[in-house]
Amino acid sequence: MSPLLKINISVDYPRNPGVLQSLTLEAHAGEIIGLVGRSGEGKSTVTMAILGLLGYKGGKCAGEILFQGRNLLELNQREMRCVRGKEIGLVPQSPLAALNPNLRLRAHLEEARRAHDGEKRDWAGLMESVSLPSEAAFLDQLPRNLSVGMAQRFMIAMAMVHRPPLLLADEPTSALDMITQAEILKLFARLNREQGVAMLYISHDLASVASLCHRVAILHQGKVVECGATGDVFQNPQHAFTRQLIAAIPQPPQSSLVAMGKALRPDWNEAETMAPEQAASEHSPVL
Amino acid sequence: MTLLRRGAIGVLMVIASAAVAPELWTPAHYATQFREAADAEPSGRFPLGTDRLGRDRLSRLVYGTRVSLLLAPAAALLSCGAAALMGGSAAVAGGLTETGIMALADLCLSLPWLFLLLTMRALLPLNVSPQTSIALTFLLLGVLGWAGPARVIFATVRKLQSSDFILQAHAAGLGPRQVFLRHLTPNLAPVLLAQFCVAVPLYVLAEATLGMLGLGVAEPLPSWGNILRELESGNALSQPWLLVPVVLLALVVASFQAVMPAQTGEKDYA
Amino acid sequence: MTKLGKVKQTRWKLYLLIAAIACGALVLGPGVLHSAALDKPAPGGELRMSLYADVKTLDPWLSDDTPSDTVRYLTEGVLIRINRRTQQPEAELATSWKVSKDGRKIEFQLRKGVQFPDGSPFAARDVISTFDHLLDPSLHAPVADSFKFDQGVVKVTAQGDYTVTAAFPVPVPGSERLFDLVAVVSAKSSSRPAPGLGAFLIQERKPGTSILLRRNPSYWKHDANGHALPYFDSVRLDIQQNRDLELLKFRRGEVSVIDVLSPDLFERLSKEAPGSVIDSGPTFDSDFMWFNQTAKSPVPANKKEWFRSEVFRRAVSGAINRADIARLVYKGHASPALGPVSPANKLWFNANIKPEVIDTSLTLKQLIQSGFTLQSGSLKDHTGAPVEFSIITNAGNKSRELMATLIQQDLAKLGIKINVVTLDFPSLIERITRSFDYEACLLGFTNVEADPNGVMNIYLSSASNHAWNPGQKAPETPWEHEVDKLMLAQAATPDYHARKKNFDRVQEIIRQQAPIVFLVHPNALSAVAPSLAGVSPSASYPHTFWNAENLFFTKKSGQ
Repeated sequence: MSPLLKINISVDYPRNPGVLQSLTLEAHAGEIIGLVGRSGEGKSTVTMAILGLLGYKGGKCAGEILFQGRNLLELNQREMRCVRGKEIGLVPQSPLAALNPNLRLRAHLEEARRAHDGEKRDWAGLMESVSLPSEAAFLDQLPRNLSVGMAQRFMIAMAMVHRPPLLLADEPTSALDMITQAEILKLFARLNREQGVAMLYISHDLASVASLCHRVAILHQGKVVECGATGDVFQNPQHAFTRQLIAAIPQPPQSSLVAMGKALRPDWNEAETMAPEQAASEHSPVL
Repeated sequence: MTLLRRGAIGVLMVIASAAVAPELWTPAHYATQFREAADAEPSGRFPLGTDRLGRDRLSRLVYGTRVSLLLAPAAALLSCGAAALMGGSAAVAGGLTETGIMALADLCLSLPWLFLLLTMRALLPLNVSPQTSIALTFLLLGVLGWAGPARVIFATVRKLQSSDFILQAHAAGLGPRQVFLRHLTPNLAPVLLAQFCVAVPLYVLAEATLGMLGLGVAEPLPSWGNILRELESGNALSQPWLLVPVVLLALVVASFQAVMPAQTGEKDYA
Repeated sequence: MTKLGKVKQTRWKLYLLIAAIACGALVLGPGVLHSAALDKPAPGGELRMSLYADVKTLDPWLSDDTPSDTVRYLTEGVLIRINRRTQQPEAELATSWKVSKDGRKIEFQLRKGVQFPDGSPFAARDVISTFDHLLDPSLHAPVADSFKFDQGVVKVTAQGDYTVTAAFPVPVPGSERLFDLVAVVSAKSSSRPAPGLGAFLIQERKPGTSILLRRNPSYWKHDANGHALPYFDSVRLDIQQNRDLELLKFRRGEVSVIDVLSPDLFERLSKEAPGSVIDSGPTFDSDFMWFNQTAKSPVPANKKEWFRSEVFRRAVSGAINRADIARLVYKGHASPALGPVSPANKLWFNANIKPEVIDTSLTLKQLIQSGFTLQSGSLKDHTGAPVEFSIITNAGNKSRELMATLIQQDLAKLGIKINVVTLDFPSLIERITRSFDYEACLLGFTNVEADPNGVMNIYLSSASNHAWNPGQKAPETPWEHEVDKLMLAQAATPDYHARKKNFDRVQEIIRQQAPIVFLVHPNALSAVAPSLAGVSPSASYPHTFWNAENLFFTKKSGQ
């Protein structure tokens, strides 16, 4: 079975050439692949390149991005627009900034729908699927009335409006507190399990990667230096940089340790439905 | 907050309705000179006293309010509209259009408009009515005032374009039209409104300046501009009633600011 | 103040007031005798005054603006000085002079023992050299215009070291007065300004800020006790455009003299310190309006017809309430004008001219007799067109705007509608001197000369400053023809009584025909610190410091 997404790209910015150098990555349908790297190493550039939005930042992308057998780099603007949102969704890093402050939530959803001529529908189901209130009054809010966690759930709902086969999640939890973070990770895992959506999960937070991703790719100096099943990579890092990354994890707080522990367990999928505290108490004996 | 807004709307409505038909209730016509009572202090007959030529100050103030409050916002609307069009299209189109429009704006800002306006006045026929003259003045102010706000609009649009939510909108596959109408425009509106609110008092005062140069409101028609000029020669300390027009201007400007839709929601949901 | 366009001026200057109030002219005003004048002179101290703009030039021959004139007055010596108070010429560098019977020659005896600051003695060669340079056409000295005539220029020759003769190509009555304006510069100096023969010397100039003058140690004058003049050690001229700030400094004692006060500030100061303000009475200046009678102007034919109608002009003149203008615009510090000459000009004023009496119904009757009609409060001419015209005046001059507004209401009583149009100065000049695209104009004369010869350029129909219809090849109306004859006749004789008779008649004609409607003569208003003594206030410029060498601070407050 050919991969859902297969990329091999090099990206240059006018003032920062060689951000990505022949970066290769594959994601299969229904798979969550983590992309880990240090800040400023071009992790976000990968999402922008896949969505064909590098032009807004003046970047240039060479190589190929095969998505469902098509090379996205060869599509024209209109064709590319049909891919964005409909076939590939984006979950942003700062959910509140990603919402138009002067547009009500319902309008956000309607605009997203209209972009691809989706049929009119009641948003209650979608809201429920991301554990947001489903009553009409909620959708009449302006974004500033949401908490960050709610906003991120809403962004996930936005990304799921057209049920795309692939979600790009660009540091989706880095702006969140630990509890909210865990909830969002849970949500991602559930969506993946229930709806079969594949994800490219980009983060510098190894703990969350360990808890969520099936496979992980390590990005260093514009290249993927190591890629494999999450457990393998974390247990037996091959590349010096990967080892450095893992070693740099500060004295891990309880939940991270648990999360890592979970990642090492074959049955981790069951654990993710629990709150971190519960998970911690339940799995602590493992350590 | 809402109380303040309601108050401001009330103030504006009172001022506006007072100025709608001054003929009905002001003590005198704005041009009538009671020469035997020139420079009078406030009294029952002249509530704000009289000016140097013995004209009732209250009447002139009310008539002047009608002139200024009608025309200054109209001119501000004109220049803000032009600014939105020019600044917006420069930012959206970019490239040559941007270079061209921004160069034009810079040129406009650096031109000695006063001299151009003076030349323009010199070219007008001499026997134009004061009403025509003032309408023309504000028209010119409106047309010429686009450059400053246009740069603000341009900068705002540029900032918006690089903002997360516009990027997110693109990532969701929204078309350029959708992005412009649903995401750019609503966020531009408060900026435009602020520009408008700044422009109104600016134009009222610009008219006063132009009046000193022989443009704008010709005697005997009153405007806030030429009423404010009374302060030049008067002594506001010994004649505090000369300050009434200033207070009125401040009140109107403050009310405009307060009426501006505030950035608050109905209630917090979370 | 700005000079009138590029119009060639000969012996009078038409100044238009732009920013401030007019400077005075030559007249003996009522003045105020300063009690301090009786105090014993105390030498030393610094006199401080304000200039309203930076000086345009320090060259005494090129000075043509008030600030430059001020510096010239204080630093330069002249052969004859007009006593601003008595109006009489007084000996300065010339000890005496004699005018020949035909009025063409003046012979000066020069003062002996006068030294320039460099130690060289003042003698005839300095006067000769002064006129040689001054009359050089390439210098374009404004003051030289007074010595140039169609028939040639003045010839100045020396007879020995201390006698100088000036020969005019034509008889010039009162010619000695012209020398009041000519700074005598040393023949040895190669550049100007050179240290001169005035009471003070230029010590330091900070462009845009101030000019500091110091006492000229070699100044020739002494007071009655033999004390060398001037009394002050220095004079400080600060450039201060804001008149309110100037007033503030005066109140604080930082400025001792305000030579020219506006009526508003005068009123304000007189309430606080009544002793320090001086109203020296009417000046020779006047505010006036005139109608455009030029044949080639683009004004509609029916309007030209009104402006050329004596009845119409008289009606307008008769309807304007001059007393109200003096009272409301000048706060009482102006006199209603009877005719072209200010009553302050006692030598030439025609006292037989009666003031206008406002009689609206009589005026309307006269207008109706000459073809106008009054329909529902609006005056119509014989073509049925409403009588409506515009008055232009220079923008930024509040007094003018107020005057125009008063005139507007006065003429409304005759059913005449007036539009007041304020124009910037250059376009106003363009209209009244070149395009003639205007209907009526409201302006003022300042620095009007006392002598009828000084106003020749207004009243001769061929003159370029014949405001209402300049540069006529031949007089277009019988009365202008008569005025031409009278003006030339008065200039042809040095006999005062013959000249006065002719000029009286001119004033009557101008009054009767009203080509120019004279409105008011503003008063000369000044302020002087009570501690300043020796001031001899005058309605002519400079009002307060024309005798700067005699001024001093009384001991009590001596600075």
